[in-house]
Amino acid sequence: MSAVDTSTPSAVLPKAVPLTPGRVSWQREALALVVGFALLALLPLVITDSYSRHVLIMIFIYGVVASNWDLSLGYGGVFNFGHLALFGIGVYAYSLLTKLAEMNPWIALVVSGLIAVVAAVAVTVPILRLKGIYIILVTFGFAQLVMQVILSQSDYTGGTQGIVRIPTVTWFDHNMVRDAKFAYFYIALAMLGASTVFLRALVRSRTGISIVALRDNEEYAVSRGISLARQRLITLAASAFFTGIAGAFYAAYQRNASIEVFGMSLATIILSMVLLGGTSTIYGAIIASFVLTVFSESMADFGAWRPIITALLIIVVMLVYPSGIMGMLKSASRWMTRSRNG
Amino acid sequence: MALLELVDVAKSFGSLKAVDGVSFSVEAGEIFGIAGPNGSGKSTLFNVITGIPFGPDRGMIRFDGEEIGGLSGNRIARRGLARTFQRETSFDGLTVFENALMGLSFGATKMPAAQAHEATAEALTFVGIDFASFGRLAGELSVYQRKCLMLATAIAMKPRMLLLDEPASSLTKPEIEASVELIRRIAGRGITILLIEHVLTFLMSLSQHLLVLNQGSVLAMGAPRSVIEDPRVIEAYLGTRRAA
Repeated sequence: MSAVDTSTPSAVLPKAVPLTPGRVSWQREALALVVGFALLALLPLVITDSYSRHVLIMIFIYGVVASNWDLSLGYGGVFNFGHLALFGIGVYAYSLLTKLAEMNPWIALVVSGLIAVVAAVAVTVPILRLKGIYIILVTFGFAQLVMQVILSQSDYTGGTQGIVRIPTVTWFDHNMVRDAKFAYFYIALAMLGASTVFLRALVRSRTGISIVALRDNEEYAVSRGISLARQRLITLAASAFFTGIAGAFYAAYQRNASIEVFGMSLATIILSMVLLGGTSTIYGAIIASFVLTVFSESMADFGAWRPIITALLIIVVMLVYPSGIMGMLKSASRWMTRSRNG
Repeated sequence: MALLELVDVAKSFGSLKAVDGVSFSVEAGEIFGIAGPNGSGKSTLFNVITGIPFGPDRGMIRFDGEEIGGLSGNRIARRGLARTFQRETSFDGLTVFENALMGLSFGATKMPAAQAHEATAEALTFVGIDFASFGRLAGELSVYQRKCLMLATAIAMKPRMLLLDEPASSLTKPEIEASVELIRRIAGRGITILLIEHVLTFLMSLSQHLLVLNQGSVLAMGAPRSVIEDPRVIEAYLGTRRAA
């Protein structure tokens, strides 16, 4: 485009403008997603021990929580530090629904996700007109409030003792305990797959694009008819559904609920995954959940040095590649394309 | 009937009266210019009309016969009143195409995806952004290109009225000339234009009516030629001649 080109339109517009100029087409992305998840589905054929499968299941759970946080934090630019509280709400909602209300565990999984959505809507209302540090304060306060409510209702929640022997999901007559975590692996993978498809479809939609528009320039977005309140509500509610389900699945898998899910330790790990992976990508958070968990596990022999080495790795990567692992992969892809073209 | 009508509109920040009892009306289909020295309240006036980021403290703003003074910014925009900003503004994390798509998706006219896609491409090419730039990130564009993109997102909204806030600022002479031509073409689509500019020659070449603001109040209003010859306008722009 020349600096002052004001030529009339019809002469330059080609017959078929791609649906998403400058972006990977949805067909290519869908194909890559199917291939990626098909490869993950084959993992239990080569990874047969229950410990390694447990690590993979935890990666999938972390991947769901981190990628959903990327929706609100990365795409939406909303510093929601109450995201892990939504995970905790999923944990306790499932535990209480299955243990006290004796609800079917599969139904409880979905209902727990919906309860997390309701909680997200409740926390969104006071932050609708807030920015930056004030959103952090309110959402952090929300997480503390939820934790205090759970602690205060110890007759039902077990307080600091937590809840044990939580009913788990069943699959017809399949023995969930003695299959070396085979069934849990596929349930967790299906959850990650559903969450990823949901998130990618959302961020590629016009609603998803409007979420980024609001992040980039709030006043400009409003001047184009975008409702700040409505889109922020959608962002937080959408990021809560699978986070709540992940919490519910975590409770069903571990068969216990502990107040530790509200602690800073887990929140720091998940936030590291979002940032290390590269924000506003969804895939980055999932890849980082693999990288960080596997790296941390491989450092098991280093004892107390393990978290220190992991933290140093994160700092180095963020300094060299502020756009994280996805930024690194994009740079590598561009370099390979340039090399191929000479 | 006037498309936009303001009666005794005011906006204060503490003791500062940024807009002080402004009244005027804009007829459908015209280009209406607003001039004034820096700090005269031009941009604040745009802000209170569009509700972005704030509405008026008092007065009545009527658009297409309906009061819009108390509405939120996005609702006013959806009624067909679009605006641009003084500084080149874009959604930097989105592509050029996605920027324009935003204007269309939440504007006055709702349309199915395929039609929206076509209309987005049309709005972009109308302002002179060629197909090769559709996939570029908006943040990579030059100042002039981003100003054109801002106009494309506004046009994509299918507005009835467009408020242009200093479209010539930060542009070179050829770019200003191209902007004048582009604004004429936009008006040719039947869009009423309210134009702020402190460069009088720019306003004179486009406006059918001219209003001059000074310290938040209307100093003069009428045909452009008579307005700029008004001694009060000359004084506001150039100051008084010192007695010999």
